[in-house]
Parts: sequence; C-alpha cells; structure tokens
Amino acid sequence: MNDCRKAGLAHFAVTIIGKDRPGIVADTSQVLYSLGCNVEDSSCTMLGGEFAMILIVSHEKPFSKKRLETEFAAKDMGNGLSAFIRSLKDDEVCYREPEGELCLVSVYGSDKPGIVYRITRELADRGVNITDLNTKLIGSPAEPVYVLMLEAALPQGMTVEGAKQLLENLKKELSVEISVRLITPVSL
Amino acid sequence: MAVKTIVIYPDPILKAACAPVDRIDPDVLQLLEDLVDTMLAGPGSVGVAAPQIGVPLRVCVVDVSKNRHGKENNHGRLLMVNPEIVGSSGSAVMREGCMSVPDYTGDVERATEVTLRFSEPDGTQREFCATGFEAIAIQHEMDHLDGLLFLDRITSLKTGLFRRKSYK
Repeated sequence: MNDCRKAGLAHFAVTIIGKDRPGIVADTSQVLYSLGCNVEDSSCTMLGGEFAMILIVSHEKPFSKKRLETEFAAKDMGNGLSAFIRSLKDDEVCYREPEGELCLVSVYGSDKPGIVYRITRELADRGVNITDLNTKLIGSPAEPVYVLMLEAALPQGMTVEGAKQLLENLKKELSVEISVRLITPVSL
Repeated sequence: MAVKTIVIYPDPILKAACAPVDRIDPDVLQLLEDLVDTMLAGPGSVGVAAPQIGVPLRVCVVDVSKNRHGKENNHGRLLMVNPEIVGSSGSAVMREGCMSVPDYTGDVERATEVTLRFSEPDGTQREFCATGFEAIAIQHEMDHLDGLLFLDRITSLKTGLFRRKSYK
C-alpha cells in the first residue's frame, strides 16, 4: 500500500491465538469490523492444535490501543482465545521490498536441538533477511524428522550459490539435508 | 514511441474477455508498437497484453530474450495477434508478479511447453513450440486476453506443504 495513503491512520499489530475451531477468524474480524478497523496485512495459520493470527490493522486517528483491548476483552473471544495488541509507530508500518535475490531454503533431517538456531544464526550473521519461515515435526515418534522451510532475501551481492556455501558446513554438523533455490519473482 | 500507462486492477477491462482482431489494420499495428514500447519501458518486463494498456483486443507481445530465465531459450520478440495455445504439456511452478497487480506475487503452476499459433503483424500465420520461461510468459500474457490474472491461478499458499496432516 502506498505510504501516503497511510497518513492519518493509527496502526496496530494484533496477535490472536487459541485452540483451533471453526469461527476464530470470523469472530476476530467481526470485532475489528464493528470498530471500523481495516485489516491491512495478515497471516493466519494452524500451529499444532492452535490457530494463530497476526494482523496489521489500521483505524483513522484518533484511535487508541485501549479501545481495541477493551473490545476484545468484552467479547471475551470466549473460548480461550488470547489477544495481544501493540501500537505501531509510523516508521514501522512502511513495507520495504527486499532488494536482493529471494531464495527458499529447505532443511530436513532427524530431529535434534539447534537446527533452527544454527541455520538462522548463520544467515543472520551474513545479513540474510528471513521473510517467511515454517517448521514442522514429522515422521514417526520413534524417528522424528524435523523440516524447516524458510524464504529469505539475500543481501546485495550474495548469490544463491553463495548462500549454499554459507550453509554447507551445517549439513555435516547437524546431519541434515539443506537445499537452497532461487524463487525471486518474475515480473510478467 | 508511445509508452502507455499500465492499467491497474480493479480496472474492469482486466477481467473481461478480449475480442479477436478481424483485420490487421494500421490501428492494430500501432497497438503492437505501443505494446512493445510499453514492455521495453517497464523495468524487467517480458510481456504486455493489450488490455493492460486499455485495449480489449486479442493482441500481446512477449520477449524473454533479455531475461536471465529466458535468454538461452527463446524466439526473440513475439508480436502476436489472435494467439491460441493448441497444445501444452509439462508443468512448473514459478513465482509470478504482474505490472497490473502491484505489490503482490504468488506461485503459479503452468505448462512448460506450449504449441502456439498466432498471426504476425504482416498477417502470416505462425505456429511453433515454446518451452521454459518463454512458455510461461506467453501463458501469463494470454491469460490477460481471457480476463484472467495470476491471482486466479495461484495454486497454494506459501505454507501449502504443511497442510496435509490433520490434527486430532
């Protein structure tokens, strides 16, 4: 969304999480709609048996975080949903398109502590910016397998080949498969 | 040289099926020229369809020869009047963006080989098989002629991989 259109709007990050059931999104968006809030960006997904929602919402100023909190509390969101709300400063609202190549990193192997940490630390230390990340424990209870998929914007000058090299040593250290592939969108 | 403004969704012309060209007259030739100029002016653009510059006719241009995905495998600059896909095979997923839908991209599955038939600007019928990125670009531009955007074709959310397991 164009930044100039955001002038005069108050922005909030809203996080909702609770035991999954049909209607969580409807209940949440009903509260927001009735207050006159717009859902600008959102990402919602099932994690384990929970349903998690993260939304960036806006409302014409003046509008307080308190108002949102009160409304969510009043609705109780009943069934064990918890809501967390944070006010966003104007400079937090702007979206900056990543400049470098976008790549998808897939990591999988026998489950062990430290997979997420080691992979993401290596990337962070080189200025690779994760834009999306999912992990999941799959396989059988006897042989659990960990799967990590992430999308990341490489810093200017780093190639997909460079990113592969960066993670090469971790294959052995963590005994996992790691692949990196280019997913930079094509402009058509 | 006439670089036209790209029509942005929700302009309804982007969702309408375009009419075939009856006769390649000077207006159609001018349209092809405008499409090429507009394509060359768009940063990294590899194709433009007539409805994207506000003309509801079955005309589009594609040129992937300067693109890293297409430079090794292409048929140069394609100026297509009444293009048809008469055969297709294979499939590949690519993350697409579109000048008419700014600030959004999505993974789209398309055929990797298409047999294409169309009229050249001089009226000659041409038929050939395009593969790889060129095939994908052609399908994207031809979708515009049927009022389809890549948004109509996104096959999965990014996290689709993890959606199969059900929780008890």
